[in-house]
Amino acid sequence: MKLKKILLLIPAFLLVITALFSFKKYTETSPYKCMIQMRNYTGEGAYVVISLLNPKGEYEETLYVQGDDDEWYFDITEWWNFQGKKRADIDAITGATISGGERSISVIRIDNDKLDKGYKIRFETAVEDQDYHKDDVEFELTSENVKSKIEGKGFIRYVRMMPQ
Amino acid sequence: MTISIWRYSHLTLAISSTLFIVLASITGIILAFEPISNKLNPYDIVNIDNVSVAETIDVLQKNYDEVITLDVDENGFVATNVFLENGENATFYINPKTGEKIGDILEKKPIFEFATSLHRSLFLKSTGRFIIGFVSFLLFLIAITGIILIAKRQGGFSKFFTKVIKENFNQYYHIVVGKYALIPILIITITGVYLSLEKFSLLPKDKSKHIEILSEAKNTDFNIFKTTKLSEVEKIEFPFSTDEEDYYYIKLADKEIAVHQITGQIISEKKDSFFTLGSYYSLLLHTGKGSFLWSLILLLACFAILFFIFSGFAMTLKRTQKKSKIKNKFTKDEAEFIILFGSETGSTLSFANSFYKALIAAKKTAFITDLNNFTSYKKAKNIIVFTATYGEGDAPINATKFIKKINTTNQHQSINFSVIAFGSKEYKHYCKFGMQVHASLLLQEKFKAVLPIHKVNNQSFIEFEQWVLAWSSLHNLDLNISKEDIKIPKEKEQIFTVLNKTKNNIDDTFLIELKPSRKTKFKSGDLLSITPKDETRNRLYSVAKINKTILLSVKRHEFGFCSNFLNNIDINDKLVASIQPNKNFHFPKKTQEVILIANGTGLAPFLGMMNTKKSKTKIHLFWGGRTKESLDIYKKQIDLSLKNKTLTSFYTAFSQAQKNKVYIQDVILSKPELIANTLKNGNHIMICGSLNMYKGVLKALNKITKEQLNSTVDKFIENNQIKSDCY
Repeated sequence: MKLKKILLLIPAFLLVITALFSFKKYTETSPYKCMIQMRNYTGEGAYVVISLLNPKGEYEETLYVQGDDDEWYFDITEWWNFQGKKRADIDAITGATISGGERSISVIRIDNDKLDKGYKIRFETAVEDQDYHKDDVEFELTSENVKSKIEGKGFIRYVRMMPQ
Repeated sequence: MTISIWRYSHLTLAISSTLFIVLASITGIILAFEPISNKLNPYDIVNIDNVSVAETIDVLQKNYDEVITLDVDENGFVATNVFLENGENATFYINPKTGEKIGDILEKKPIFEFATSLHRSLFLKSTGRFIIGFVSFLLFLIAITGIILIAKRQGGFSKFFTKVIKENFNQYYHIVVGKYALIPILIITITGVYLSLEKFSLLPKDKSKHIEILSEAKNTDFNIFKTTKLSEVEKIEFPFSTDEEDYYYIKLADKEIAVHQITGQIISEKKDSFFTLGSYYSLLLHTGKGSFLWSLILLLACFAILFFIFSGFAMTLKRTQKKSKIKNKFTKDEAEFIILFGSETGSTLSFANSFYKALIAAKKTAFITDLNNFTSYKKAKNIIVFTATYGEGDAPINATKFIKKINTTNQHQSINFSVIAFGSKEYKHYCKFGMQVHASLLLQEKFKAVLPIHKVNNQSFIEFEQWVLAWSSLHNLDLNISKEDIKIPKEKEQIFTVLNKTKNNIDDTFLIELKPSRKTKFKSGDLLSITPKDETRNRLYSVAKINKTILLSVKRHEFGFCSNFLNNIDINDKLVASIQPNKNFHFPKKTQEVILIANGTGLAPFLGMMNTKKSKTKIHLFWGGRTKESLDIYKKQIDLSLKNKTLTSFYTAFSQAQKNKVYIQDVILSKPELIANTLKNGNHIMICGSLNMYKGVLKALNKITKEQLNSTVDKFIENNQIKSDCY
């Protein structure tokens, strides 16, 4: 009856394996202050989405969303392709939109082990009935860049990052 | 002509936008509760007028690792975004004195989120926003046309807030509510349009920039933080890093200043442009944020809009119903009798129509049409004009072209005409348009007046019948006017029981006390209308209200049908009558002093007024009778009022008591100061009694006002300081 024993062991073994893997790998995250300074455009407040991209250029995680009216989210096309399918809970990382000429400071958390590994941070911007900028600001996640000032191409004039 | 344009636009605008306005008002009602409910939160524990920016910044930097921002909202709630000890970032309300957390940030409730979305974009995003912005503009135009219509009706902008004459519920409250709700509605619509323009980037670009300020000694050492109160601040951004180039940014009501984080100097400031301020105040005014009272006003304004829609359409519906009733049996060239009507609200039409029906029933060829449709009529022998007057003696909406057309239209044959003018004596320009029509027709060669102009006050059926009788006897016709065709408010007749009746005094005058059978609302000064049996004409008596019963004073005339009828009545007898409100002769509400002047039975309403008046109002009574004994029947009431001090002073004149006749106006002339002071201080005089007495009293009053106040008595009659009910 060895076979029977083995057969019994298999589910037990699988259970242990799943149990082991279901413990999410514990990762340290650090907070970063992030200031976004907008250009002097007119019109509605801009929606800004800050995302983490993996080395392949795919969306990995949404770090921050400025703009809490979700009826406009699908205007941020690229990101919506990711978020629209995944529907991650972003309530905790949502803030109000910011208008032309304004500044906002928000705090984002980034996994420590993603630093200097070829990951990228992307700032996407969209304004109702105006343009959409897929990569208004985009930079590599390096220890150098997270304490620097990066110029924007669209609605963002510049972004400043600062480790806390 | 102009009136019709305004009314037409008012209506068209309203019809085209009703649906959206209803939606916006209902959501507006819901949204008005948002600032109210936010305001009720207890996060304004400290009066931020007394807290300086330095104080709060100090406690925050002591309490927390790092502070990012500080916000002060419209409710005076202070929120901050900080890093806590464990490195977590958090935002919450604080006590600005201690820096302690006192609550989590308020989240917008789902119902408000839903209502906001519907209110500003109908869930249609930009399309919806455009629609709402446009509708807001239409509502603005509706409000403007409304203001013009009210001004026209009241007789000029200067009389905008004067009393509105009540014709019916919808009409009256549409105007009354309109007068007061127009201001908030104008504000709502203007700010709404402004906010829409902003959303669509149609406002000039904001080009304001930070401008460097040359450092002055007194600006150093964070003086600005010490002198600025937290209540002046909207937002403070703390320096991004310890880099000297990173400043404090303080957003104040009209500018933003940058302050050096080490020296405390003001580095630069950015003044808000006019349009940024505009947006800021538009938002506050449109949403009511931060103000309990204003939110409440906005809430009421939303209800008012819904009421306008309801009452407006009710009026329109009534008007169109009345108009659609015209059905002509004959063409204009077949008819012998041409009925032309000028009707603003449709009530004059119902009279014209009843007359038309009566003619048709009498087998006559008749044709009925608007005054504006006036043209030539081949077989016409008689033209009968029914017309109302609108506003300041203007033509009603469907009669505006008539007077011009009379002069340009040629008739083949000569035609008899009669004009019957409808109006209300409450208006200054009573039946004025009717008189113009009559005069214009008289000037025409081919027109011949068969009767002088006949005026009908307040749609009185009796006055109308008098004309019908006169006119039909001229034409040897027997016309039956059906009262049911005419929609006039029916008087509420009821049974009254005689409670008491005095014996006739020396002048054959007596008092009757009546008890209504139903619970009836009335005031002293209202009229009791009695129509004796076998009589068609009613008699009106000014009444006093004493302890819920009616008191009237009657003088028996030898051949007076009604006075004899009342004279023969006994205690516990019953009679049918109705009470007619007579608002113009009610005791004034806000007054410190009132002079009551009466002769004979005119004293009746005053007996009630003296009995119920407010304790602080002084009342002086002047009464004129024939002899001392004439007063006997009233003596009990007057003595009671004097004893209760509800009557301050009492003056009498007895015309037959001495050789030289003394009338009440002579007594008045002996008290010029009392009269002049009363009028000068905006207080009131009320006169009730015979027309002869009224003329005499006015003459006496005029003398006093001319001598003491340098003004004619007419001025005080016009502004309702002198009220009268004389017969």
